[in-house]
Amino acid sequence: MSEPIIRIRDLTRHYEMGTETVQALRGVSLDIGRNEYLAIMGPSGSGKSTMMNMIGCLDTPTGGEYWLNGQEVSQLSDDQLARVRNKEIGFVFQTFNLLPRATSLHNVELPLVYAGVSSRERRSRASAALGRVGLGNRMDHRPNELSGGQRQRVAIARALVNEPSILLADEPTGNLDSTTSEEIMQVFAELHRQGQTIIMVTHEADIAAHADRTVVLRDGKVETDRATHGVAA
Amino acid sequence: MNVARALEGVGIALDSIRSNKVRAGLTILGVAIGVMVVIAMASAITGVNRSITAMLESAGPKTFFVQRFFQGGLNISDGSDELSPWRKNPWITVEDAELVHQLPLVQDVSVSEGTEGPVSYEDISLKGVLIAGFGPSWVLVTGGEIVSGRTFTSAEYAAGAHVAVVNDKLAESLFPRGVDPVGKRIRVFGQPFTIVGVHVEAASLFGGGDQVRMAMPHTTFVKVADYRKGWMDFSVLPVASATSLEAQEEVISALRAKRGLKPMQENNFAVLSQDKILDSFNNITAGFFAVMVALSGVGLMVGGVGVVAIMMISVTERTREIGVRKALGATKREIMFQFLVEAATLTVVGGTIGLALGALIAVAIRSNTTIPASVPLWSVVVSLAASVVTGVLFGLYPAFRAARLDPVEALRFE
Ligand SMILES: Nc1ncnc2c1ncn2[C@@H]1O[C@H](COP(=O)(O)OP(=O)(O)OP(=O)(O)O)[C@@H](O)[C@H]1O
Ligand SMILES: [Mg+2]
Repeated sequence: MSEPIIRIRDLTRHYEMGTETVQALRGVSLDIGRNEYLAIMGPSGSGKSTMMNMIGCLDTPTGGEYWLNGQEVSQLSDDQLARVRNKEIGFVFQTFNLLPRATSLHNVELPLVYAGVSSRERRSRASAALGRVGLGNRMDHRPNELSGGQRQRVAIARALVNEPSILLADEPTGNLDSTTSEEIMQVFAELHRQGQTIIMVTHEADIAAHADRTVVLRDGKVETDRATHGVAA
Repeated sequence: MNVARALEGVGIALDSIRSNKVRAGLTILGVAIGVMVVIAMASAITGVNRSITAMLESAGPKTFFVQRFFQGGLNISDGSDELSPWRKNPWITVEDAELVHQLPLVQDVSVSEGTEGPVSYEDISLKGVLIAGFGPSWVLVTGGEIVSGRTFTSAEYAAGAHVAVVNDKLAESLFPRGVDPVGKRIRVFGQPFTIVGVHVEAASLFGGGDQVRMAMPHTTFVKVADYRKGWMDFSVLPVASATSLEAQEEVISALRAKRGLKPMQENNFAVLSQDKILDSFNNITAGFFAVMVALSGVGLMVGGVGVVAIMMISVTERTREIGVRKALGATKREIMFQFLVEAATLTVVGGTIGLALGALIAVAIRSNTTIPASVPLWSVVVSLAASVVTGVLFGLYPAFRAARLDPVEALRFE
């Protein structure tokens, strides 16, 4: 493994629920290298999404350390976290989370707006990103004029447009049928081949099989962590 | 880049106006009424201001007025002595005017007195015509111009001749179109008069627009008119070499001497310079402004409450979108900015509608009265600024709520 892009040590995340404390993560340690393609699996409630929120800097840990690109994230302010999300992280959600009133192009431009990119450059970069996911001909469509698979591709283009260090996908195929899921996995495989680091949560073994490495969580701890040989064509 | 985000905010705001018509309508209506009041009243005040200035200008900048009593502002009297201090003042008389006319610093004096009365021509009779008795130089003082014929001469004034100058409105009421009124014989207070000229007034607040009026020599007026005595006044034109103030002082001491006032006693007459008239007009204007601010304040408050309501709903409905934007790298400040732009868009739409309505009212005032109302630039700037400020101020709390949302929670929101 090359120098890790992500270095996690004894990471914990507790939720206070009245008098009770829910321990979503109970000491996770993990290194993830550049250009890795990692799948996170585990039963429902095992802490997968919590883990992804930590890695994506949407949430901060209760204890432990998280180093992203050599930077200790728990020390950062809200604004700095927003900057890190904008520059280093690309999110793909299970429910796509596109802005319903905006066109594909506009949706993909959004991270660039927050990055302060000029409108001319935004347009060209956003249309290039849509081209990469095979939607060059759907730029002026709104989400409700697209199929589920197409919506997820717009979301992937949006995640890629800022050239992030890591692509984070929490159950990206959870709302898609198996054929469309397979198409999305092809897109991921292609991105991975081009050097993109990808971390993906999934329930399905055949989806996880596309990754190089699979980490299984159980009760907020790493149960297994093993290399899988990517089956992506 | 802020422009891009602002434009996005404007677009979203217009969308949310479309999808929440009733709530947005209330907000927009409140702001629109507030702004409409500002624009309409500002236009009217500007118009009144302009006509007063025009009136004073037509009288010549140095001309001043001598009256029995000056009511500064709008007084409502029940007729008791306490509320009507003018009752103690003696009448202004023609002798007073003649005395003043003799003064070295006075070039000209024009007396003026008026009432309402009947005027008839053949079988047309009109009641309630405004009838004034003036000195020969009255056109210089009241402004406007003689468009046909002439005014009465000093000789006719001295003789108390039965000659009349009608205004264009009275001419229209008495004679068919195309008939020249000059030379026609009419009856005023039942007495025969000959029309010698037609006068058109300068645009004036006191001109009364569609009023029918006529002028005659004051000497004739006191003989024929049936009027309430004691309200004559006169205007004074100083000589070219004297300032208005010097002439006023001379007139005051001459009248005080004639009336035998001791040094301690106050003047029992009023000398009104144009400055003083403008001052008292400005007092009235200040009153109007207070009313204007109060009314528009209520409108803006209603609009502001509407902004809070509609923006809170907007924030709740778009919780997930806020989560997405935060995930994509929006800072708190950027979320805040987006919702403030949205709130300001709502109020600016209201402000723009109010601006249009106010301008329509100004046009209506201009075409239905003699007040040359027009929308002053400052009122447009102030109204739009007030709209933006209302939106931003009342949008602060909802925008703050949006900015403060936890991104994980917001993304999980159903
Ligand atoms: N905001 C919260 N408040 C309280 N408890 C929470 C909160 N978020 C998550 N949890 C708890 O933390 C644990 C881990 O949740 P998490 O969402 O990470 O699970 P998951 O592995 O993603 O499950 P799934 O496969 O169902 O998505 C669960 O027991 C959950 O109830
Ligand atoms: Mg989950």
